[in-house]
Amino acid sequence: MKGNTGRIADVDLSSGTVSILQLPEETYRRYIGGSGLAARLFWDRADFSADPLSPEAILILMNGPLTGVKLSGVSRMNATARSPLTGGIAESSCGGHFPPALRLAGFDGLILSGRAKSPSVLLIENESVSVRDAGNLWGMGVLECTRELKKTYGKKSTSLVIGPAGENGVPFACILNEAHHAFGRCGMGAVMGAKNLKALVVQSGAGTLSLADPDRIKSLTRELNPRIKDYLISQILHDYGTSGNLEGHMYDGDVPMRNWTSSYDEEMASALTGSTLSETYLKKTATCAYCAVACKRIVQVDEGPFAVDEGPGPEYETVVAFGCLQGSPDLAAVCKAARICNDLGMDTISAGATIAWAMEAYEKGHLSDEQTGGIPLIWGDMDTVVRRILPMMAARDGKLGALLSMGSAAAARSIGADSIAYTAQSKGLEAPMHDTRGGHGHALAYAVSPRGACHVQSAMHFMETGACNYPEINFEFDLEALTHVKKAETMVLAAAIGGIENSACLCQFADRSLTLPEIVELINAAAGYGYDVPAMMEAGMRVFSLKRCINYRFGFRAADDDLTPRMKEPARDGDTAGIEIHFDEMKNQFYELMQFDPARGVPSRKKLIALGLAEEAEIVWSQEE
Amino acid sequence: MSQYYKDAEDLYRIYGYFLDRVLKDEKIGTKMSKAGIIIKFMYTDPDAEITIDLKNPPSKPGYYGSFYLGPCDLKEDVWSKQPADHSHRFWHGLENPIAGITKGIIKQGGKVTAMLKLLPVIKPAFQLFPVALKEMGLERLIVTKK
Repeated sequence: MKGNTGRIADVDLSSGTVSILQLPEETYRRYIGGSGLAARLFWDRADFSADPLSPEAILILMNGPLTGVKLSGVSRMNATARSPLTGGIAESSCGGHFPPALRLAGFDGLILSGRAKSPSVLLIENESVSVRDAGNLWGMGVLECTRELKKTYGKKSTSLVIGPAGENGVPFACILNEAHHAFGRCGMGAVMGAKNLKALVVQSGAGTLSLADPDRIKSLTRELNPRIKDYLISQILHDYGTSGNLEGHMYDGDVPMRNWTSSYDEEMASALTGSTLSETYLKKTATCAYCAVACKRIVQVDEGPFAVDEGPGPEYETVVAFGCLQGSPDLAAVCKAARICNDLGMDTISAGATIAWAMEAYEKGHLSDEQTGGIPLIWGDMDTVVRRILPMMAARDGKLGALLSMGSAAAARSIGADSIAYTAQSKGLEAPMHDTRGGHGHALAYAVSPRGACHVQSAMHFMETGACNYPEINFEFDLEALTHVKKAETMVLAAAIGGIENSACLCQFADRSLTLPEIVELINAAAGYGYDVPAMMEAGMRVFSLKRCINYRFGFRAADDDLTPRMKEPARDGDTAGIEIHFDEMKNQFYELMQFDPARGVPSRKKLIALGLAEEAEIVWSQEE
Repeated sequence: MSQYYKDAEDLYRIYGYFLDRVLKDEKIGTKMSKAGIIIKFMYTDPDAEITIDLKNPPSKPGYYGSFYLGPCDLKEDVWSKQPADHSHRFWHGLENPIAGITKGIIKQGGKVTAMLKLLPVIKPAFQLFPVALKEMGLERLIVTKK
C-alpha cells in the first residue's frame, strides 16, 4: 500500500490488548481516508445501542492519505465516535503535529474501545502501541499534562491530551495536541475520558512515507506550496490569523452577536478583529506540521484581570464566542477565556454559545438566581465568565456548572420556558460563529450536516462567499449570500466536496486554492487511488451518505434536519435586517436533488446502491417506520 | 468593448467625480484614511489607471485622501487590476470581490491584506456611486440587480 501505511491499531483498553487491522486497499480508495474511512469503520464496528460514554463505545482516530506529505494544510486527522452531546455521529478534525507523527510511527489510525481499569496513556512508538499508567496525570490541566508528557517521553514526542472537562464527561469536552490544536467539536474529550484515557503519545516516528509517485509529489509540492502561501486567504490568515476578516464578516451580517440577537456592531468588530490582536497581544505565529500559512497565534497579555503568559491564542471561533456572542469587546478577556478552555479541555464554540444562551435566559427571567446559584449572568461580564463559570462547567460543579455543562440544547430543555427557541444549534451541536442570516446557504448546510450545526463538514461556507470556483464540476455560480437561490444545488456539490476534504484531511483554509484536479493528482501521487474527478466526487458523496445512514441508526430523521427559531428569524440590525430565510424551500429542494426520503432523511435505496452502499441500504430501508 | 465607458477619459471623468465625493465623505473618508496605504487601480477595456493615496497628507483641504487619474509617480503599496466594467458593477455592490479574485477576474499584488481591510469600510460608497452617476446625468449607466 502506498501513502497510507495500511495499518490501523485496534486497541481494547479494557484488556490492554492491541491488534493490527489491515483493510483492503479498495476500502481506502472507496472512502479516501480520514473522516470517510472512520465512518466506514464506525458503521462496521460500532454498537449502535451503546451509550457514547460506555466502554462499548468506540473512538476512531484516522489520518488522511496525504498526512505527512510536506505540503501546507494536508497533515490533519479525523476523530469519529458517537457524540455525547448530540447522540449522533461525532466528527472532529485536528491539525497540529500528531497526525504525521502517527503516520511515521507506522499507523494510519487507531480504534479505541473498552475502558482502562485506571487512568492511562497510550504510548505509540515505531509500529508498536502500549498502554501505560497515567495516575499521576489524571486531574491535570491540558497545559501541565502536555509539559509532563514531554518530560517523560522526550521533547520530540507529541501528544493528544484531555483536560478535567473530558475526565468529568462534559459532553463538549475536546482533545488537544500541544495544548493548542484541538479536536474541538462534538465531545471527543468526554469519549476519551470515559475510556480512562488521559493522553495518547507518539514518542518516536522514525519511519518514512512510502508514496505511489514520489517524484510527482515532489513536483506538486514545489509548485503548490508557494501558490498556497501567496493566496489571498492564506495571506490574511498569516498576517492576522483566522479572525483576520472579522470586520468584513461583520459588515456581511455573518457574525452573531449577543446570542444571535444582533448582527452589527462596528466598534466591537474593530476591537476584536485579527489586526487588533496582532497590534496588541500577539507575540508570534505558530503552525501545524509542514504548513507555511502559519495562521495560529501565540499571545501574551501582560497585565490586568485577564493577564495570560505567552502561549496559544484564540482562533476566530473563540474570539466571537467569547467576544461578540457574549457582548464583550474585551480582547484580553477572549485570550484568557481561550487559554482556560484549552487548559480545561472544552470546546470554545459550545462553551461560549451555551454561556451566551444562558445570559439571554437570565435577562429574560427564564433562568433565576436560584437556578444559577446566585451567580448573575450579565452580557459582557467576562470576569464572572472566566473566573467562575468556565471552571464550574468543566467540573460540573454547583447548579450552574451542572446546567451549563450539558450544552445549550439540553440546558434549555432542562429549564423549559421555550428557551430552546433561542438556542443556536442543530441536532444539539451549537452553531459555529457564522450567522445563518448572513449567508442563507449556511442555514441549509447547518441543518443537513450529519454532526449538527457545522460550517466545515461541507464546502458551502467557502462556495457561498465566493472563495471556491470548480468549473470542472460546473460550479461557476455567482451566489448571493442573502437568498436561497441555487443554494440547494450548491449544497449537493458542497456535501461531496466536504466529504473529500474531511476524508483527505485537507485544511479548509490553507488548501482553499487547490482545484479538484489538483486534489485528484495529489491523492493519486501519494496513495495511488487512480481517481479522476468524478470518481473522487462519488467517494465524497458516498462518505456523506454513509454518515446520514449512521445517524439514521441513531434515530435521526428528516425532521431533525432543522434549525431553531432564532437561527431562522430575520436579523434585527445591520445590512441583513429583515431578510427572511426560505429554509423549507432550500431543504425540500436539497432533499429532492439528493434523492433523500422526506421522512427518513436518508438517500433512496436506489441512490445508496448506486453509491455502492447496498448492504447499508438494506439495513436502513428494511427498518419499519 | 466596454458596456459603460467610451474611453479612458470617460472613465476618469466618472471616477473623478465619484472619488471626489467619497474622499470628502466624513464617514467613509475618515475610515479609509486609517488604512495608510497607496493603492493603484489598473483597468482594462478601456486601459486606465487611478491611484488613491491614503498614506500622505491629503493634497486638498477637506479631503481625507488624494487621488490621481492616469499614470502617476507614486509608488503603490498594493495594486489591483480588473476589467473596467467589472469595477463599474463592483461600485454598485453587485460584484463579490472574493469571487472575482478566485475566478482570476481581479488580479492583485502587494499588501493585499491591507486592501482587504478597506472592503467593509467602502461598502457605504456603493450607495454613492449610482447617486454620482445620476448627478452627472448618466442614469443610463446605473446598473440594477437582475
